[in-house]
Amino acid sequence: MEQARKGYCFTAIVGQDDMKTALILNVINPNLGGVLIRGEKGTAKSTAVRALAELLPERVQVADCRFGCAPNDKAHMCGECLEKLTNHKTLEQSLAKMKVVDLPVSATEDRVVGTLDMEHAIKTGEKKFETGILAGANRNILYVDEVNLLDDHVVDVLLDSAAMGVNTVEREGVSYTHPARFILVGTMNPEEGDLRPQLIDRFALSVTVIGERDAEKRVLVMENRLKYEDEPEKFFEDFEPMQQALRDRIKTAEGLLGQVTYSSRILEKIAKICIALDVDGHRADIVMLKTAMTLAAYSGRTEVTEEDVMEAAKLTLPHRMRRNPFEDAVLDLSQIEGI
Amino acid sequence: MTRTVFPFAAVLGQEKIKNALIWNLINPRIGGVLISGEKGTAKSTLIRGAAELGDMKIIELPLNVTEDRLVGSIDLKQALQNGRRELEPGILKDADGNILYVDEVNLLSDHIVNALLEVASSGVNTIEREGISHSHPSRFVLIGSMNQEEGKLRPQFLDRFGLYVEVEGEKDLITRVEIMKRRVAFEGDPLGFIENCADETRDLTARISAARIRLPEVEVTSNAHRFAATLAQGVHSAGHRGELALIETAKAIAAFDGRHMLNIDDIKQAAEYALPHRAQEPPPDDFYEEPPEESPEEEQTEQESPEQDEDPPPPPEAQEAQQPPDITPPERDDADNADTSNNEDEDDIQEAGDAFVIPRWIDPHVTRQINKGSGRRNLVRSGTNQGRYVNHRMAGSERVSDLAFDATVRAAAPFQSIRDKAGRAIAIEGDDLRVKIREKRTGGSILFVVDASASMGANKRMKEVKAAILSMLNVSYQKRDKVGLIAFRKDSAELLLGITRSVDLAQKKLAQLPTGGKTPLSKGLDLAYEVIMGLRMKEPDAVPTLVLISDGRASGKKAPGSNPFGEALKSAERIGNQGIHTIILDTENDFIKFHLCQKLNEKLRGTLLTMEDMKADGIVEAIAATRRAT
Repeated sequence: MEQARKGYCFTAIVGQDDMKTALILNVINPNLGGVLIRGEKGTAKSTAVRALAELLPERVQVADCRFGCAPNDKAHMCGECLEKLTNHKTLEQSLAKMKVVDLPVSATEDRVVGTLDMEHAIKTGEKKFETGILAGANRNILYVDEVNLLDDHVVDVLLDSAAMGVNTVEREGVSYTHPARFILVGTMNPEEGDLRPQLIDRFALSVTVIGERDAEKRVLVMENRLKYEDEPEKFFEDFEPMQQALRDRIKTAEGLLGQVTYSSRILEKIAKICIALDVDGHRADIVMLKTAMTLAAYSGRTEVTEEDVMEAAKLTLPHRMRRNPFEDAVLDLSQIEGI
Repeated sequence: MTRTVFPFAAVLGQEKIKNALIWNLINPRIGGVLISGEKGTAKSTLIRGAAELGDMKIIELPLNVTEDRLVGSIDLKQALQNGRRELEPGILKDADGNILYVDEVNLLSDHIVNALLEVASSGVNTIEREGISHSHPSRFVLIGSMNQEEGKLRPQFLDRFGLYVEVEGEKDLITRVEIMKRRVAFEGDPLGFIENCADETRDLTARISAARIRLPEVEVTSNAHRFAATLAQGVHSAGHRGELALIETAKAIAAFDGRHMLNIDDIKQAAEYALPHRAQEPPPDDFYEEPPEESPEEEQTEQESPEQDEDPPPPPEAQEAQQPPDITPPERDDADNADTSNNEDEDDIQEAGDAFVIPRWIDPHVTRQINKGSGRRNLVRSGTNQGRYVNHRMAGSERVSDLAFDATVRAAAPFQSIRDKAGRAIAIEGDDLRVKIREKRTGGSILFVVDASASMGANKRMKEVKAAILSMLNVSYQKRDKVGLIAFRKDSAELLLGITRSVDLAQKKLAQLPTGGKTPLSKGLDLAYEVIMGLRMKEPDAVPTLVLISDGRASGKKAPGSNPFGEALKSAERIGNQGIHTIILDTENDFIKFHLCQKLNEKLRGTLLTMEDMKADGIVEAIAATRRAT
């Protein structure tokens, strides 16, 4: 069989800077909480998400763990790893790359959350939990294309897992709980319907993409694409230096993230922005702070600046502005500039 | 696996949730709490954190739970390997003596709610299934959290919650800053963070357990009983659960405060938590410091399920007042161009008038759905293999395509000791086969067919019509209906918006809809017919509804020599013959009425409404009142 075609290069995507930044921030800081990409057809939404896979870092995980648990993160470990750890004191480790796991819109609930392993039941008469998509998504990116078309009952399941990082299954004869901490990345075309307010709030960031309007850039888009299709080897060779540079930058930022500090003025600014815009709850505040910290690390700094906060506001607030149906909810940056 | 939860003691603010949870830990007889509020207000965090404070465990009920796991069912392993019928207890067994927590409780499947209600009221879980006959006590503290945006709870379910708390985010700057700090610190090092506030957690736990010991000694005088009863009566709380919860709560408050005597303030404070969701009309202001603006009994609708019959229906104001129209159509005094725009060739875009609140304007689903509903999305039993697996049934003679494997194995389990298994662990026979019953939470599909001819421009008709559609769209938005829009004017009918879930887009298209020209009614109906038939092919589960908005007049001819209205009647008959659910909104508001819509309706076999019906029952006034109030 022919080898699967290599995905597009992330750095070959022209423009769409907000989208690219939002995706990279989530790679640097997996605890950020995902991104919702809204835009018309043909604006490289899916391409960008798939291209991201190539940039993803390698990390340590427990060998043979179905959920890819982190060996040193006792707080979010699955029951099996925790048991092994108490019995043997150490866990066997392996290196694995972070993945982009697809959740197709047509997925049935049992495939998403997991179900009873039929084969095992018939052969042995014992019950065994067969994992679903959410298990594979633990510590990875869960990608939902056309997320607004997802069935409501699948959304319900996603909501809970996304919030708590845990998938609880009590159905079809099985009772099972496992970690499901994933980066939720969704794309949607707003013309095809809205997202439920609950789900939209679960996305930490949102960006709106529009087709490039600049003629030169459009030419570049075409050129890159043609090169990818006609001379893939040359394409990858040409972009490899840029890809490597970005990988290095992400790696540096990951290292810096733990050292990023912020002043109380920064915190106050964030709180004031959220109060001024009257957003629901506190999720916006917390996400904005984490985004600003990650932005600082991405810029190679260890101190959050006011510009980081403004940039973070741009990414975290647009989808939290609407409080009522039919309200034309747009984020008016001038409203918060003076803060 | 263990869960690392943000410590209860480290949550800032949200005193009402904390109180309600602590009191329930002290006195389980309060009967739980329902927490309703906006997103991101630490609802779930506090509830999960509360487990650390008492002896009770938190048992979570996931939304997609199936009945076998809820009530318990046959132990497969025992049945298959040893041929014994034994019970494998479900969640309700674990929940006995503990807290049963349902996040997003308003989204729980109705048939799970029914099972839950039965056990909650009797305290006993009886299992009669798969050859198992068993019952065990199941007394639990029911805790639920929800976000009202997503739908409401049934009244009798609501009544099961001892207390009700409504929350919103903290507005204080310093609190918000501190909340951020703590959350980020927790995420950086969860176990260290928990360790840091271990002292506070220990103190709180000690206080709660001391209060538990004190609780039986708290005295309740008959005066206190009388006062509680008066308060409950004052809000017309149905049944006695309200005052019982009130007294039990007041006892917990006194015990937590280290007292053995109830005082009046305990009862008053308890009333703020125990009565809002039971109030049948807004309680007088002096009962609460902050009268709850949204008391949650609006879920009472005319489509009550049979169990509800004992509850008196709430006064209509209560229903309407809860549903403030979210749309505020722009109002403009455009009287001066009212009459200039009636020219047949000139386009006129009228803005929407005041919105109406729809008196359950239609329920296109009544015939096909199993709606125990409460103004929330409709549940449609799904014929295709999509939707949530809620139950199972015997396959019978049909071809099995959607096997409920767990149910099939359970059905076969009791007979394994007598069947020939041919080396496998289990032998399944035809009678054992079970197929899934799935339920899909969908809205309907509503196709609006709007007359946009010049006659609609007259007398500001279009303004009213737009307002009416807008109001319907608002209902659709909440119910997640799909909508489409057809307009007919001049010489043709145009599909302005194909059936889409974006109700938003429909609203925008509607706002831009011009009027002018002739009235090709039959073309509008023909196009609607095509769209709906196409939809039926594509989505067999969809329940399309056609809403025709017209005065029934037709002009413009299809073929020379034919009569436009006659053509329209023919088109209408075709729709009627297909059994398409139709509603006609008759916009005829002239002094002399032709009742053309009535004739159309005879062919369409739908429901005929007039603009007056839409505005009936002083609905518009009710909206105006709520607007003034907000």
